[in-house]
Amino acid sequence: MSAKNMHINVYERNWMIFSAIMLVLFATAVSVAAFGMGIQVPAPEQRVDPRTVATDPNSPWSNPGLREVSPGRYDAYILAHAIPNWEYLPKEITVPVGSRVSFYVTSSDVQHGFNIQNTNANFMVLPGQVSKLTITFKNPGTYNFICTEYCGVGHGVMYGAIIVTP
Amino acid sequence: MAKKDKDDDEFRPTGTIAVLTIFVITLIAIWTTIYMILVGRGSTL
Amino acid sequence: MKQYQLSTGEKKFIGSHLLVAILALAVGSLFGPLQAFEHAGWDFYPYLKPFIKSYYQGLTVHGVLNALVWTTFFIMGFLTFNVTFALKRPLKNPTLNKVGFWLMVVGVVAAAIPILANEATVLFTFYPPLKANWAFYVGLTLVVVGSWVEGWGLFMTFAGWRKENPNVRSPFVAFASILTALLWQICTLGVAVEILTMLLPWSLGLIEGVDPQLARTYFWFTGHPLVYFWLLPAYISWYAMLPKQAGNGKMFSDSLARLSFWIFLVLSTPLGFHHQYVDPGVPPVWKFIHSMLTFGVFFPSMMTAFTVVASLEHAGRKQGGKGALAWIGKLNWSDPSVAAQLLAGILFFFGGIGGLTNASYNVNLVLHNTAFIPGHFHLTVATAVTLSFMGISYWLLPYLTGRKLWNPKWAVAQAWTWFIGMIIFSNAMHIVGLLGAPRRVPLGLAPYVPAEWNSRLFQVGVGGAILFVSGALYLTVMLKTALNKEKVTEEVEVPMAEAMQDPALTPDWLDRWAPWIYGSLALIVLVYGPVLFDMIKNIALTSPGFRVW
Repeated sequence: MSAKNMHINVYERNWMIFSAIMLVLFATAVSVAAFGMGIQVPAPEQRVDPRTVATDPNSPWSNPGLREVSPGRYDAYILAHAIPNWEYLPKEITVPVGSRVSFYVTSSDVQHGFNIQNTNANFMVLPGQVSKLTITFKNPGTYNFICTEYCGVGHGVMYGAIIVTP
Repeated sequence: MAKKDKDDDEFRPTGTIAVLTIFVITLIAIWTTIYMILVGRGSTL
Repeated sequence: MKQYQLSTGEKKFIGSHLLVAILALAVGSLFGPLQAFEHAGWDFYPYLKPFIKSYYQGLTVHGVLNALVWTTFFIMGFLTFNVTFALKRPLKNPTLNKVGFWLMVVGVVAAAIPILANEATVLFTFYPPLKANWAFYVGLTLVVVGSWVEGWGLFMTFAGWRKENPNVRSPFVAFASILTALLWQICTLGVAVEILTMLLPWSLGLIEGVDPQLARTYFWFTGHPLVYFWLLPAYISWYAMLPKQAGNGKMFSDSLARLSFWIFLVLSTPLGFHHQYVDPGVPPVWKFIHSMLTFGVFFPSMMTAFTVVASLEHAGRKQGGKGALAWIGKLNWSDPSVAAQLLAGILFFFGGIGGLTNASYNVNLVLHNTAFIPGHFHLTVATAVTLSFMGISYWLLPYLTGRKLWNPKWAVAQAWTWFIGMIIFSNAMHIVGLLGAPRRVPLGLAPYVPAEWNSRLFQVGVGGAILFVSGALYLTVMLKTALNKEKVTEEVEVPMAEAMQDPALTPDWLDRWAPWIYGSLALIVLVYGPVLFDMIKNIALTSPGFRVW
């Protein structure tokens, strides 16, 4: 077999160059948001035993809820469960506007999701894993958090709310 | 061996460029809109 | 010149793939509109209670039959046709292919029984610890293994051809079909390991629990290339058949078409983490690497866009088309096969846009598991792929059966109704997703739906209704064609577009398998190896099963 050169039409070559540049620009924009603005995806936080996470007294999820760690900074431990009735514990959290809240969410049964409406807090919740993201509530109002992964017939009623007071 | 038509050599895909220009403008517009939503919502760390 | 003749037995064999595929589509598509109607507030599920217990049982039927069964059977049939027809030779070992086919059929039946008995309402992603009846996992395994066996039969056929034709450029259609089957063999390793090492022994009671994060990682190892397994057969038709049908056009570039297929082989597996950006147990650095590779795999789709549109433009110009865009009108729109595939291609532009956005690393935070996602994949698998397959069947079924396509005008109407219905449905899903609506939820009943979603949810229902009509039209045309008394006078001509440049001039490195296969395996090991090694080392089989439906 002889070596042959690839024949590329000039229009197509320019299109390929343009495509490559465009994709590089998108990748750059994404990187700037991730590494420059701190808009990151969840990282491995902690592993837990889903069979005991809700009952073990040493587990923060045996007493889920909001803890103030310093003025205006909170940790929210939230347990998602399908059994018995598809809900988050706690169902409601109240924080003052401007609060920075770290969400630590896990499941004691099946996979769930956690999406605080109109925010960047949107992640999977898996049994055995702890999902964490931190966001700041800049505006007062009610922010529903909704289950975004199928977790059984009650999936569609599984939600809670964050009340951000002025 | 495939026969080669003369008009194939003269074929300039200008219409293709027109179609793809529309596509790329739409792509960049939609992608950027959603990217700006992300940026507007702020840090997650 | 007379075209290569397939034997009656071969035609029957390929036709049986089509039969199973279309039956699956018929049942599966019944439930699609039911989901859409529910969103609009017209809930029919209460009336189905004697047979279908919940919205989610319906959604499982829809997902499994449409996304897995319709696609896999159609694809294996189409690839078998492509390889034998393009290489002009029979299958090397037809028994092997038959064994593969029947394994798939048994698998579908085995999975269907628990699904219909409401013992496997786990959706088509079957994420543990939702625990289905063991027969569901056995069924899925058999479908995958059957498709492997059919793939081996195709590889042997290709190898036989290569042995006799050592220095000849492989025909593009055969090359691309073999590559698609090969991609499938590589990528299904993920789901095979998931089922055989975790889900099956667990459902049989041999192990107590599973590791859900590891299971998701195995699943998405297969899950993304699965998309390309669906898409590449449509690409084959768009590249090498559609230009001919649309107006006697030629394939713009044989060498770039091959190059883009090679890039698909190499890049479509090692980027599965772009479905797991917001998973808790995967380190962000690996998510980021996979996102960069995802931008890489978008590149061959951009090349495909150029080559396909240019080949179509070539056809349009040949038919006297003028202007920057007016040539599009000169394409052979009255042929239902052409109309269906052109419309599928138009919507695929938007599918590509949504896909790139989803897959852009942190941008996924805005979209993950919102209604945007089903909006997106109804443009890709449910239109680019499904409507193209429908288009292909408009010539393939008459070719295989020797019966005339029944009422081509209805078939054209079918393509347009699918197009219009999907625009309405999908546009509404994308927007309501951006507003925050989650996927996989009977939104008609959900307690948190704000008023601003309602008009969009109504549009979801309207789109679903039009799609229901379109689906019914398709099944009518297929059934009436299969039973048509009117025979075709001569065997239907198989559309095969020549390449503009003689494929013999395509560089040899684009027709060699080993370097590309080693390359893709090496890349997989590189970008999946460390994470999988770590996850397996720290495996925690702590999740018992749940039946929460």
